[in-house]
Amino acid sequence: MNKEVIARLRQICGATAVVEDETELLVYECDGLPLFKNRPDVVVFPRNAEQVSQVVCVANEYRIPFLPRGAGTGLSGGALAVTGGIIIELQRMNRILSIDVENRIAIVQPGVVNLHISQAAAPLGLYYAPDPSSQMSCSIGGNVAENSGGPHCLKYGMTTNHILAVEAVTAKGEIIRLGNPAGEPIGMDLLGVIVGSEGTFAIVTEITVRLLPKPQAVKTLLAAYRSVEECSQTVSDVIAAGIVPAALEFVDAKTIEAVEASVYKAGYPRDAVAALLIEVDGFRDGLEETSAAIVEICRRNRAYEVRVAKDDDERARLWLGRKGAFGAMGRLAPDMITMDAVIPRTRLPEVLVAIDRMSERYGLGVANVFHAGDGNLHPLILFDSRYPDQVEKILAMSEEIMKLCVDVGGSLSGEHGIGYEKKDFMDLVFTETDLQSMLRVKQVFNPDGLLNPEKIFPSRRGCTEIGKHNTTSTAEIGKRVESVLLGPEKVQR
Amino acid sequence: MTIDGLSPAKTVRPNSTEELAEYLSAFKGAVVPMGAGTQMFFGNPLQRADCVVDLKSLSRITEYVPADLTIHVEAGVTLAKLEHTLLENNQFLPLDPWNGPHATVGGIAAANAQGPFRAAGTIRDWIIGMKVVEIDGRVSKAGGRVVKNVTGYDLQKLYTGSLGTLAIIVEISLKLRAKFARTATSIARFADFDAAAACVATLRKSPLQPVSCEWVGPGNEVWLRFGEHPRAVDWQLQNLPAGADWTILEGSDEKAAWERLRTTYNALGPIIVRAAGLPTAVREIIDTYRPQAWIAHALNGIVLLQFSSPDEIRRIREKHRAVIEKAPVEVRKQIGAFGLNDDEYSLMKRMKDAFDPEGRLNPGRHVDGELR
Repeated sequence: MNKEVIARLRQICGATAVVEDETELLVYECDGLPLFKNRPDVVVFPRNAEQVSQVVCVANEYRIPFLPRGAGTGLSGGALAVTGGIIIELQRMNRILSIDVENRIAIVQPGVVNLHISQAAAPLGLYYAPDPSSQMSCSIGGNVAENSGGPHCLKYGMTTNHILAVEAVTAKGEIIRLGNPAGEPIGMDLLGVIVGSEGTFAIVTEITVRLLPKPQAVKTLLAAYRSVEECSQTVSDVIAAGIVPAALEFVDAKTIEAVEASVYKAGYPRDAVAALLIEVDGFRDGLEETSAAIVEICRRNRAYEVRVAKDDDERARLWLGRKGAFGAMGRLAPDMITMDAVIPRTRLPEVLVAIDRMSERYGLGVANVFHAGDGNLHPLILFDSRYPDQVEKILAMSEEIMKLCVDVGGSLSGEHGIGYEKKDFMDLVFTETDLQSMLRVKQVFNPDGLLNPEKIFPSRRGCTEIGKHNTTSTAEIGKRVESVLLGPEKVQR
Repeated sequence: MTIDGLSPAKTVRPNSTEELAEYLSAFKGAVVPMGAGTQMFFGNPLQRADCVVDLKSLSRITEYVPADLTIHVEAGVTLAKLEHTLLENNQFLPLDPWNGPHATVGGIAAANAQGPFRAAGTIRDWIIGMKVVEIDGRVSKAGGRVVKNVTGYDLQKLYTGSLGTLAIIVEISLKLRAKFARTATSIARFADFDAAAACVATLRKSPLQPVSCEWVGPGNEVWLRFGEHPRAVDWQLQNLPAGADWTILEGSDEKAAWERLRTTYNALGPIIVRAAGLPTAVREIIDTYRPQAWIAHALNGIVLLQFSSPDEIRRIREKHRAVIEKAPVEVRKQIGAFGLNDDEYSLMKRMKDAFDPEGRLNPGRHVDGELR
């Protein structure tokens, strides 16, 4: 990186808020998707919107690509510096600016950890609803960029339904404000299109979120099955009964095996082929009846064990297994890729069977743990990166899973985003015209394509889109990953 | 037909998306998309109108999958038809826009029209996918057909509320909700403004979660609607704010009452302004600007105020965000309908130019006609 640029960045953010040392930069060469890596040229740690804006202006002046990064927990490579450049790391902007109890809103900086909002609001009887599994570490700014989900989105909606207003820095460095505390879109819903734009439209520097009153009561239950079909049928029957569960989560045998052998041990029945974690919440009155109705539906679908958590401890333990499932996979294989796809929930049984067959064919273990209530699948593909052929297999298998989900009327991502990982699959769901309309909107927000380049759109478009930087194909980056892991001599193609 | 004083030379009524696409790819004049025409008084005055595109024949429900809680409809489907279809499976779309059952789903989306049922957001929160025809006849889609989806940009949100000025909405995919096991409405009339305000303040701090909370003036009424498990509804009815004489309505009485409120809304005028602020600012908004009549979504910070002069709109905009929801064309010719700030104006203007560089789609209706 040009020394002059580094000096300018130091001037803006302070000497200790600019990292350019190659070893230190290794931390920033990928996000939660380690399959693709590329080192940024420099990482800056701004403390306020003005600094972000000035950094963006410098990037524009020197035509350097730049992108925002929160906690780096994203799973689609959204914070991958594909063409190098400047990573604007927002972790130091981590203050909760205010919580307004009566109006049920909080104003926070983008680096605030998702869970910290609910923790701060808890004594006031409020919480922030969207709860990605990474909520203990992911940042709210990242949530806004990705329109993150989580188990409780089934009842409460995604991030987009909970963001009322933002302050953001545009791709050209202007500081703008969109939205209002009433959550009332005025004219075109610009805020609605910024949420979920995966850091390609603007860098959000302050966020007004909606808080909800904590439900009076919560019931969590676990139902274990000997067949996937019966388990899936329960999901459909609960929905058909008009019940709106707060969460409806599916865990399969492999997940149970991993969880029960790990520190996340939740007491899931080890002999189950599949299990459901179901939660209902709301007013105390009536909740017992709703929970009883669910137990009845589970039994009718031949659940051989149905356990209703007796107290908060037991509830917490059931959730520990679900939320710790990703970490627990380390018991089964050294590496894992978390896939994300969404299908109409009625197509669950057939899709799970097909994924199972694929797993056998590719010789890669797959564990399924996902949001069954809204058909949001998370096949966890287990592998060992010491074997180079496995990376290739994963890329092939993930493409096959995507095609399968799209074929049954589903989509590429329910909550992780397209990012770098799935950009070449966009053609599976969108036509050239669809993508052109999206590019047109991107042009409005990000006319020079310097902000988070090489994301969302298939590569061939990506090239024309910026045209000034060398692009790296998925396969090339895959190779680079292997050469880092294995040493260049072992990578043969 | 006359819209804002203009009489378009012709009307086309396409029977399919393809037909509309073909028509637009050849037509070079100004196009005005229209559903049931229930809210033609909304938005900035139309500046040119060569052809009305009447979307009422696009009235098919293309797919309804009750088990997936999704429905896919053409834009000309009316809310009444949609509700009727969903009723078979005890499902519904949780909104009740003021423009009523004859409004089309496409029109409701284009205007992001809304009513008292605000607890679940507006239609923008229920749209999961959209197909549009652009001014040059290109057909594009955004979103998808599944309830949870982050694939590509959420352009359906951008089209929602854009009053047909970016593209013409032709198909909409919606997610749905199971119908509430029970609903009930409680209405109280208070002695004066302060007493009604005190009730609303109590509600803000209470554990009650009404799906609608309307403060209706000048009669000092508070309307609450609850929808939940029957026992949860009961509990809320038993815990209504004290010191008021609540009338509880259910079934057909309840339905009739809300229909009455809709009539009240439709009788407001000639100017209705929708102010949006913090819920705690509702009282101050009403108190300061003294509308002759108002309906406030009190827990959402939204107040619909009846005014008689454009000066009152200017005055409220000095301090609050306020959209003109309804006004005679003469008023809308003097003052912008949306009251956009500079950031919004510049982005929306660029968006309009990107989608419709020749300004032929509903010219003047949205940002392109916004007086500053």
